[in-house]
Amino acid sequence: MRITHILPIITVMAVCANAANSQVYFTKNGSISFFSKASMEDIKADNNQVISIINIQSGEIRFSVLNNAFHFPKAMMEEHFNSDYIESDKFPTSTFKGNIADINKVDVSKNATYSLVAQGDLSIHGISKPVTTVAMFTVNDGQIEGTAVFKILLKDYDIKIPSLVINNIAEKIEITVRCIYGKK
Amino acid sequence: MNIKLKKWITACISIGIIAFVSGYFVWNKPHADIKDAESIAITAVDLYKNFKSDPAKADALLLNKIVVVAGNISSVSINQNNQKVIFLKTSTEGAFVNCTMEEHINNFKTGDDISLKGKCSGYISGDADMGLPGDVFLIRCYLAKSDHKQ
Repeated sequence: MRITHILPIITVMAVCANAANSQVYFTKNGSISFFSKASMEDIKADNNQVISIINIQSGEIRFSVLNNAFHFPKAMMEEHFNSDYIESDKFPTSTFKGNIADINKVDVSKNATYSLVAQGDLSIHGISKPVTTVAMFTVNDGQIEGTAVFKILLKDYDIKIPSLVINNIAEKIEITVRCIYGKK
Repeated sequence: MNIKLKKWITACISIGIIAFVSGYFVWNKPHADIKDAESIAITAVDLYKNFKSDPAKADALLLNKIVVVAGNISSVSINQNNQKVIFLKTSTEGAFVNCTMEEHINNFKTGDDISLKGKCSGYISGDADMGLPGDVFLIRCYLAKSDHKQ
């Protein structure tokens, strides 16, 4: 095959690769927080070091977060969370890998808000479970802000709470996700 | 009441108070000090290389340790907690040492050299499928003392 034949193919491939890239939005300082109402003291923690990536053509969405970077108001809670509950030495990251239905409704050229359904696998503490939630996406001057709030059960992820403190930790935890994505 | 019993009750109450007070202080103890803690000095380029080439070894050496990282600023942004995030360049394009500041600092911009002291929380590998390199993360960062601008 002569070079004149190959050149158009290379050009098409390069254009395609570029088009695929331009559909990818990401953040490296997204936010995930969790909250649990408990008898003695509410438990809450936040993490602002979330890596998330979203392909606005295919709808693929991913999140990764380091468990040991969750910040609690109390140092003691943080220590217990890392050593006894999430076991961050053994399971350093939590991830979500999924898809957003009807992502093609999102028009990044216009400021607007969309309510879409995200579905995928949430992996925490070495256990992966399917999760479905409604997520809000707001396009704002070329950036996309994604937010979602959903609940998980600790026992689904084999997170054991000693019976001594069982009354102080709700078995249902509310997770709030907020990421502001920029174009890759 | 006999004296022996009185002594017993006083002792029990004292122990109870001591246990309660010490429990209260342990439960409410402050977060570990980072500003004045012992630290490991490393460059941003080396820190990233360590995690990328041998994650297990990097974990043993650097994970959850207090480090002073010297590097060049690629960009500065603000997270949703209103903290500054400073991205230090590494030898891989698009991969950074991602530093969340605990203290508010000004006067630093893209291209400046800086040394930051913080806790190394580890490495997230990014996403190879979608072409996003990962970062090494530093949390609760302060300006390392020698770098304070006048």
